[in-house]
Amino acid sequence: MGSILGDLPSFDPHNFSQHRPSDPSNPSRMVPTTYHPTHNRTLPPPHQVITTEVKNILIRSFYQRAEDKMRPKRPASEHLAGEHGNKHFRASSSSAQGL
Amino acid sequence: MLDVPIYGRIATLELFRPHGETQDFLFIVTERHKFCVLQWDAESSELVTRAMGDVSDRIGRPTDNGQIGIIDPDCRLIGLHLYDGLFKVIPFDNKGQLKEAFNIRLEELQVLDIKFLFGCAKPTIAVLYQDNKDARHVKTYEVSLKDKDFVEGPWSQNNLDNGADLLIPVPPPLCGVLIIGEETIVYCSANAFKAIPIRPSITKAYGRVDVDGSRYLLGDHAGLVHLLVITHEKEKVTGLKIELLGETSIASTISYLDNAVVFVGSSYGDSQDGSLRIVRNGIGINEQASVELEGIKGMWSLKSSVDEAFDTFLVVSFISETRILAMNLEDELEETEIEGFLSQVQTLFCHDAVYNQLVQVTSNSVRLVSSTTRELRDEWHAPAGFTVNVATANASQVLLATGGGHLVYLEIGDGKLTEVQHTVLEYEVSCLDINPISDNPNYSQLASVGMWTDISISYLLCALGDGHLLNFQLDTTTGQLKDRKKVSLGTQPITLRTFSSKSATHVFAASDRPTVIYSSNKKLLYSNVNLKEVSYMCPFNSAAFPDSLAIAREGELTIGTIDDIQKLHIRTIPLGEHARRICHQEQTRTFGICSLGNQTNAEESEMHFVRLLDDQSFEFMSTYPLDAFEYACSILSCSFTDDKNVYYCVGTAYVLPEENEPTKGRILVFIVEDAKLQLIAEKETKGAVYSLNAFNGKLLAAINQKIQLYKWMLRDDGTRELQSECGHHGHILALYVQTRGDFIVVGDLMKSISLLIYKHEEGAIEERARDYNANWMSAVEILDDDTYLGAENNFNLLTVKKNSEGATDEERGRLEVVGEYHLGEFVNRFCHGSLVMRLPDSEIGQIPTVIFGTVNGMIGVIASLPQEQYAFLEKLQSSLRKVIKGVGD
Repeated sequence: MGSILGDLPSFDPHNFSQHRPSDPSNPSRMVPTTYHPTHNRTLPPPHQVITTEVKNILIRSFYQRAEDKMRPKRPASEHLAGEHGNKHFRASSSSAQGL
Repeated sequence: MLDVPIYGRIATLELFRPHGETQDFLFIVTERHKFCVLQWDAESSELVTRAMGDVSDRIGRPTDNGQIGIIDPDCRLIGLHLYDGLFKVIPFDNKGQLKEAFNIRLEELQVLDIKFLFGCAKPTIAVLYQDNKDARHVKTYEVSLKDKDFVEGPWSQNNLDNGADLLIPVPPPLCGVLIIGEETIVYCSANAFKAIPIRPSITKAYGRVDVDGSRYLLGDHAGLVHLLVITHEKEKVTGLKIELLGETSIASTISYLDNAVVFVGSSYGDSQDGSLRIVRNGIGINEQASVELEGIKGMWSLKSSVDEAFDTFLVVSFISETRILAMNLEDELEETEIEGFLSQVQTLFCHDAVYNQLVQVTSNSVRLVSSTTRELRDEWHAPAGFTVNVATANASQVLLATGGGHLVYLEIGDGKLTEVQHTVLEYEVSCLDINPISDNPNYSQLASVGMWTDISISYLLCALGDGHLLNFQLDTTTGQLKDRKKVSLGTQPITLRTFSSKSATHVFAASDRPTVIYSSNKKLLYSNVNLKEVSYMCPFNSAAFPDSLAIAREGELTIGTIDDIQKLHIRTIPLGEHARRICHQEQTRTFGICSLGNQTNAEESEMHFVRLLDDQSFEFMSTYPLDAFEYACSILSCSFTDDKNVYYCVGTAYVLPEENEPTKGRILVFIVEDAKLQLIAEKETKGAVYSLNAFNGKLLAAINQKIQLYKWMLRDDGTRELQSECGHHGHILALYVQTRGDFIVVGDLMKSISLLIYKHEEGAIEERARDYNANWMSAVEILDDDTYLGAENNFNLLTVKKNSEGATDEERGRLEVVGEYHLGEFVNRFCHGSLVMRLPDSEIGQIPTVIFGTVNGMIGVIASLPQEQYAFLEKLQSSLRKVIKGVGD
């Protein structure tokens, strides 16, 4: 079990080389500076203001199914007898059941 | 290191690096579903917003388990689970820019965790969910960006640990996912399954150690940190191992940094060990040295020569002796002698004197001693039959008072003490001061004399034996006083001592509530000192301890420096168990707490207690154990009509595992007798007693959906009982109650705030008005007769107002929302009061404040500002907003 903690990753051997474990009875009182941006780079470029598509997902799902049905079917294989032959039911490629 | 304010409560925080970028970006989503992507520009030291947006949906039920925000390891999309049944996708284009977001229907409604898998040709998520039979499973889905839909993923795993709660995706070459449960840990992928049992615990945080994902640090709800190892041979997982490393604060986040250094972030602290925190605002003393010394009756610091910058001697007086301490060459305080001083008696006063001399006043004499040779140079003796009771001195003058109102004035010369004047006053002299306040630092034209008579006396600062402090404006030319003010600084006699801090003169008032007084802006300001009780104090400015104070407390002499500003000081009292409610009873000087005992083993059910603590030492004085499954929900200290006693009332609930809501509870009434809790009366209730309030000499209880009023009745046999008088239904759960006069304000679980009134003649409680919004309340408080404050579970504060002027019944029956504020924290208690000393003459003293506490340990203040002040600050705030931009907007 001793080797379980062996060879911990080291990305840069200098990191934390000066580090001394802090005394728990005297915690460090480091106070970071507060950042107050006064520049105008707090706004992104206009094309990166993201919204959700307006179309409701149910409606989107309706249209998608309608499109799938409208798409021309694959040409019938040579085995088929004719118009009144067996139609092959093409399973939906989506696993989401929707309606 | 920078502290960046974000205008929102952060719920998701993730680093990611889109293709082609040389730097990581930060993805942040707030509780209110606004997001931004930030980049740090090191050259200009600016945080740049790369993208932002609002990803909320108008229709959707926010998830119960909190939002999930994840980024595909190959940066093809961002996935968000914000609402039940919906998975939102924000795709990236091939230049790393974000595109319009869209939703995908997610069948699983009770989702515990979702993570992106590594090493998949198409973006794939693993979803950990609970079905409607409470069984937990993991399913995977491929996200089809083209069809905006899910495709069934490569694998699934059914029937996991009932407490499975967390998914950890494993990087290549191993891939797959770790499923962390409460009793098992499972590794799962398309072609492997490994499981190990673990000691029951709830894992709250994890941090990956190795880049190849073979080791992880796991932090649990008790602060224990384990190392989890995936054992493997090349790319084949062969097993799992886990080992306990130790205990830290309860981890909310763990990050392996480098070279065996790990960052553990905690929003719980060490709360696995229950404790009380005492929060005080005041000046702190930084202790530098301390020694046990009982019975100190006085202290003075002396210099060894007039030219010395620093003090050398500390004269400490006891009832029948005087000891001299001095700094030695090793900067240590050691005992020494001043041969010319009397050491077998109590010293009444000591001071540095002109011509390199020291003066000591005892009950029989005044001694003038050389500060360089320490030999006696002159002595004044009290006349036969007179003993000196009170004395004061400065560098050239000595003022003494003996019994019978005799006042003697001496002047100090070079090696000579001269009695200049002797007078008799009408009353006994209680205190004297001859501190020079004009230009001459060694001589004063004025002396202040306090006499044991009533208040019409001349002082600048006058400390009274009952703990009050008077202050007057003193005219230094005429000696005239005006503008008398009185402040209470405790209950014990106060002694006053001046000291200098940062070249300003301050006055230290030593008492059971030590205070520092200083003047600023033509006003006298008072500041609490963070010490319990100080009996004597004197300034001690030595080379080793510059600008320090010597402080005598019970049995201890401490030397320390004073902080220059008021700060919040927090003292921790470890309890060893979790206190849930606390109440102070001033009359018995005790605290009553309701607490949950720490379980020694998992089999035992939790035990709850009512405990009595001493309010100075915080030691447990007495305990009352509650029944099995009984929780204490509320505690109150109050008295009742026609009964002089003061009681602790505790409201409880029996929480049975098979019940959705408690159907039984109790109200227990205790008296503190012989330092013990004695149960006086007990009343069964039909539900949980969520709140107890003293109401017009009776007891008001909130029990499940009902507000119930009880009278405190005397039985024929002389014992007492609670008798139900009247009640009011109309709540989902009445959780929070405040009262004012005949009015009752109720915060409901779901139905916001309502106002009830007690009708005396009818002996009934009626609803007067309510806020019809659906707010899930977490705390309420009454601000004034018409305005009530509430906090709700979406981290908002609101104020509502009673509309007595409304034209119709409908209008009068509505509490109007007049204020709203998104605090971003979950408030669970309001309390009227202030942490800052209230001064009688300051404007600040007139502003009513309410302190609030939050679940994350924040303490804040809400103040009712006068309209003018509010308008000014509001204008300042708007102007600030124009200049200081919000990060991520």
